[in-house]
Amino acid sequence: MKKYINKINTGILFGLLMFTGFSCTEDFAEMNTDPNNPTSIGAQYLLPFAIESSIDRYWGGTTRFERLNIDGAMLWVQYLARNIYSNEGDSYGISPAFYNNTWSSLYNDGLVNFERIIKQAAADGPTPNTNYVGIAMVMKTWTYSVLTDLYGAIPYGEAVKGSADEPIYTPSYDNMEAIYAGMLADLKTANELLTVGGPSVSGDIIYNGDIMAWKKFANSLRLKLANRQAVKKPAESKAIMAEILGSPSTYPIFTSNADDAQLVHTATRPSNNTWHEVMVIGGRTDWSISKTFVDMLMATSDPRLGAIATEVNGTYAGIPNGLPDAIATTYLSSASIMQDKFRDPSAPSVLMTFSELNFILAEAVVDGDITGDAEAYFKAGIDASFEKNGLSPSASFVEGLGSVTKEKIMEQKYVALFGQGVEAWTEYRRTGYPVMPAADPRAIFENDGIIPTRLPYPTTEYSLNREKLDQGITLNGGPDNMQTKLWWSE
Amino acid sequence: MQQSTSNTYGGGISEVNPDNIKAISVLKGPNAAALYGSRAANGVILITTKDGSDSKGIGVDFNSNFTFERPFVKPDFQNTYGGGNGYRTWYSDGWSGVIQPDAYDQYAAAYNDLVPGSTTGTAGTDESWGAPMDGRLTRQWWTGTDVAPLTPQPNNWDEYWDTGKTFSNSLALSGGNEHGNFRLSYAKVDQKGIAAFNDYTRDNFTLNSSYNLKKWLTASFSADYVKSGGNRNYQGGQQFIWAHRHVSWDRLANYADYEDVHIQRAVSGKLEDTDPPNWQHTYFTNPFFTNEYLPTVNDKDRLLGNLALKFTLTDDLGLMLRSGTDFWSDTRINVSNFERVRNGNQTPGRYSEEVLRSQETNHDFLFTYDKMFDSDFSVAAQAGGALRTNYYKRNYTYVGELVVDGVYNLANSNPSQNTVASTIEQSEVQSLYGSVQFGYLNALFLDVTARNDWSSTLPTNNNSYFYPSASVSAVFTDLLSINSPILSFGKLRASYAQVGNDASPYQLTQTFRAAGSWDGSAPEYYENTELANAFLKPEITTGLELGADLRFFKSKVGLDFTYYSQTTENQILGVEISKASGYSTRILNAGKVNNKGIEISLTGTVLELPGGFKWTTALNYAKNKNKVIELAEGLDTYTLQERRGLTSIARVGEPYGTLYGIGFAKTDDGQIIFENGLPVVESTPQILGNIQPDWTGGFMNTFSYKNIELSALIDARFGGDFYDEGTGTARWTGQYAETAIGREEGVIGLGVMNIGTDENPEYVPNDVIVAGNQYYGYNNPRRYHEAAVFDGTYVKLREATIGVKLPSAWLSKYKIQSAKLSAVGRNIFMIYSNVTHIDPEVDEYGGNSQGFSYGRLPTSRSLGFNLSLSF
Repeated sequence: MKKYINKINTGILFGLLMFTGFSCTEDFAEMNTDPNNPTSIGAQYLLPFAIESSIDRYWGGTTRFERLNIDGAMLWVQYLARNIYSNEGDSYGISPAFYNNTWSSLYNDGLVNFERIIKQAAADGPTPNTNYVGIAMVMKTWTYSVLTDLYGAIPYGEAVKGSADEPIYTPSYDNMEAIYAGMLADLKTANELLTVGGPSVSGDIIYNGDIMAWKKFANSLRLKLANRQAVKKPAESKAIMAEILGSPSTYPIFTSNADDAQLVHTATRPSNNTWHEVMVIGGRTDWSISKTFVDMLMATSDPRLGAIATEVNGTYAGIPNGLPDAIATTYLSSASIMQDKFRDPSAPSVLMTFSELNFILAEAVVDGDITGDAEAYFKAGIDASFEKNGLSPSASFVEGLGSVTKEKIMEQKYVALFGQGVEAWTEYRRTGYPVMPAADPRAIFENDGIIPTRLPYPTTEYSLNREKLDQGITLNGGPDNMQTKLWWSE
Repeated sequence: MQQSTSNTYGGGISEVNPDNIKAISVLKGPNAAALYGSRAANGVILITTKDGSDSKGIGVDFNSNFTFERPFVKPDFQNTYGGGNGYRTWYSDGWSGVIQPDAYDQYAAAYNDLVPGSTTGTAGTDESWGAPMDGRLTRQWWTGTDVAPLTPQPNNWDEYWDTGKTFSNSLALSGGNEHGNFRLSYAKVDQKGIAAFNDYTRDNFTLNSSYNLKKWLTASFSADYVKSGGNRNYQGGQQFIWAHRHVSWDRLANYADYEDVHIQRAVSGKLEDTDPPNWQHTYFTNPFFTNEYLPTVNDKDRLLGNLALKFTLTDDLGLMLRSGTDFWSDTRINVSNFERVRNGNQTPGRYSEEVLRSQETNHDFLFTYDKMFDSDFSVAAQAGGALRTNYYKRNYTYVGELVVDGVYNLANSNPSQNTVASTIEQSEVQSLYGSVQFGYLNALFLDVTARNDWSSTLPTNNNSYFYPSASVSAVFTDLLSINSPILSFGKLRASYAQVGNDASPYQLTQTFRAAGSWDGSAPEYYENTELANAFLKPEITTGLELGADLRFFKSKVGLDFTYYSQTTENQILGVEISKASGYSTRILNAGKVNNKGIEISLTGTVLELPGGFKWTTALNYAKNKNKVIELAEGLDTYTLQERRGLTSIARVGEPYGTLYGIGFAKTDDGQIIFENGLPVVESTPQILGNIQPDWTGGFMNTFSYKNIELSALIDARFGGDFYDEGTGTARWTGQYAETAIGREEGVIGLGVMNIGTDENPEYVPNDVIVAGNQYYGYNNPRRYHEAAVFDGTYVKLREATIGVKLPSAWLSKYKIQSAKLSAVGRNIFMIYSNVTHIDPEVDEYGGNSQGFSYGRLPTSRSLGFNLSLSF
């Protein structure tokens, strides 16, 4: 018997020793609480991320084959041309990663965080703050305007509801008309919510908490979108323009270049400009100035050319777009390239400028949407652009352009938009201006030689949201390719 | 044990000293789950390590192995045209800078179309559309202001790779008697990789011992301390994908010899470039320099061990108490940049330092009861409990700017350029389990098991899950007393088993993630785009397995057949969703996934001669199909992997791993449609292939004669597609032999063109000539996924060994008990493959994400020699 007691004692002793380690399951919930990541966070930390990532995507995109601006828009509007690898965008062919990741970044880095700020800072949210809501609504609208102008019909009303109380994982698409109506309404609300002297905000890397500046951007952007849809929705657009221009105190707009909506980058990576990241840090030298752009500015002896492009052998020379590599590479060192200021780490990424606003108003006058002095707006637009390029406005230059027409306005707007490739591409697709020269006979283009009219929908929408996507394609009135014209095309 | 292995840092089973392994058994399917828990859902690899119990007195084992390796499949390169573009090959400054006046005469002699101030060099184009390698005199990266004949370098692939060498030695000392036993061993592995400056060392110190304290009490201890590390920075590269065919890699390896003559870019008004000499500078840094001075080194310490007490309580009843741990800590230093000037831009030295600490601890107890009732019935029962805790800690610092280059210390940094991150993960599973086996006549067995787990990673109201199993096996030849000259043994088995599984930690609550800062000062956060799920349930896998083990003709021929079908319900997956939902993936109990297949093996003795000659053979066949039966509501697609817009997906009702991407337009009978001489590209994605093989098989033959044994294994895989960006890209960049065809005359693509209308097409063979590089550009895998989807079928002579046991009579003179000498070759010969340039056995991402490859370190062919001695 003693033998057994020994055994049992030893067993129990070791058993107990081990089982002091066995805790009950009551501390499981605590153990499974993520010690690494917070479950809530202030708007001031979400705001800079959302702004930076959506603007970086819009201005550059740093990954080869998916750089929206420099591998797409800037080439298609013939600001730049490829001196090598023209089949990476310059020949109108793009990779699926280009349209997949542009889409996912704008929704998943930008919009989801702007929406989170709106929810958190709403009147019935945990930390009410009308100014955060206002800023996030302006940025949300800007992001949606980029998206819809790229793709056409997109998920809007049902979008970004993956974590809602009644979540939507396969959002349906809205047509552009409905999206524009929603964006214009949101900007009006944003202007109402933004209160000078109201609650303070931080993390605002665009205007550093200057609420008046945000109000100006909200109303200027609203004018831009109203103007964009003016041919399709004349009455609505006229009313919006009249409302804004009729009461500048309620609806302040940009009054100088100092008001420009732009993200001024810094030398500290990754807050540096995406072109600096690609062209300096990454060492890519694949872009020269397009022959189209150089020729246009040479024809008017536009002094801005020297502020934008480098001189080569005492003159300016561009590369025709779409040349196959064997030819394009022969221009590698003989063509003008962008001035260093565009590759500076702290160069701004520009969303909307005072110059642009003046051209919008000039166009609105010419189109009869507002009354006013088209010539004055036109001149103000050029002057602002000169000033932005560090030049003094030249009266003789404007005089040399002759009388103001829609084409002249759009041409000068095109020059002023250099860098804002996406906006210039949208305006080109809307108005057909500037008229692009005939392609170089040696150039080889895909897309039947047609300058892309939109981006194809992501392959992920085909695999993950097919039914709604098919309805969305129908809303565009044409197949899902790069030739279907978008709603605002005039 | 740590489960995962990474190519760069090793880990998992690869750190066990193979000479310490006594036996490896594979327990298939979920049947082993009662004893081994959730992680046995896909089966168990059970490694039994050696102890000293077999030794009589003192035993000494010595094993020495020396292995050489070389790349297995060499791509079929073109050796006609050099690097560059437009039929020109000329090095000016590594960046396609303008050719300077001092080279005008030289250039004109080679090409005679120089435009002063405009014509540029071609080194900036990292492709091979350059001049014919006809000996014309050109400037090259190593010639400085001189010129050298442009000649083919058909062996530059062979020059690039070193001969890998692995030297492993182990020594073990063991002893045992009726009181206990021990085994002490030391092993060392010293490896030099096929990529320059890549190496690895590992030291294993192992002790296994047990002691019989009392007749009823045995205490045992085992510990394995492993120290490992090295530089394994080269896991792949584009050295033969984006490349110049005229480059000698032997010369590049000696880049230091050319420092004085090598021409670098000097941007006016900026610092002169300082990169080490290379064939070009736009995209590449000399890889020999990179491997040596930008290493990815790790230094890992690992301790695996356990303590156990075994009680013999009664003759039938035993108890085991055991406590074990697997602890490792790894310091990883990855140097990513050195202070340099490229294209006039200066960048500082950069590196990252990562310290990981991981521990898994298991405590368990197990009662065992074995009893024979009369001579016919037996009962074997086990009941036990286990507690497993896992802990993981990561500290990571990235230094974006070293103050003094080459001093890899975190303090030697500009703090505003540093990035930091850290993670802690903890989880715990508690379990109770039991099993009973009833035996009858030692021929009929019924096994019943049950286990319940409680996991910390699941919601508290749903963290308990129970999973039973039952299996029956019958040796029917014994039970029915079949005594046939044909059928000598027959066993049938059937099992039904369930196994539950939990989630990864912290998937229940939506969180925000840190994303560095704006301008090094304003912190940034974002919402996690993986949607958490507060209502997760445990996943349950139910498996049915049927099998037969039949042996014929006095067991000379054996046939083993297994059919299995495994269905996982509520599988916990991060399911990709429409990005327009605002989120990227959802953590879900996602429906039902089925995995079924058959495995057949036929073994036999083909010939056995009285003189001692024996030939045995084994033939294996396996077929497995994965299928998603249902996903969560509203979802029909699970994305396994995405690359360049090509996805590998599992769609409800379709097989796992469908490759879905951009392809070419085709006629109904599958011919590619051309327009203006170029393939028409479909704008919307389509199905391009599937990663799952139709079947796999193996054929093993072993010949033995007295003390000599010879064996050869052939492995085969039929079907299963893969996306090889490397092959597609290297065709697009003019590296491979087929792209030399028609470069100067033009190419007519194989396919048809429509001479009718869109509505009423009329197809005739394409007859439009286009430029070669334009046509080959349609191999670009980033744009035209289909061009890079290939059939992964292969048949290869996987392994052949020859072994000789030295005669013991002769050995005993030297007091040696046994000695064996063997030679092993692996990946010896590709018998059949549908692809030319690569070993189709690729797996870039591992796990479910099979079927992708881009410039990975090539698989190697190896030859090793082994000597084992026992004293």
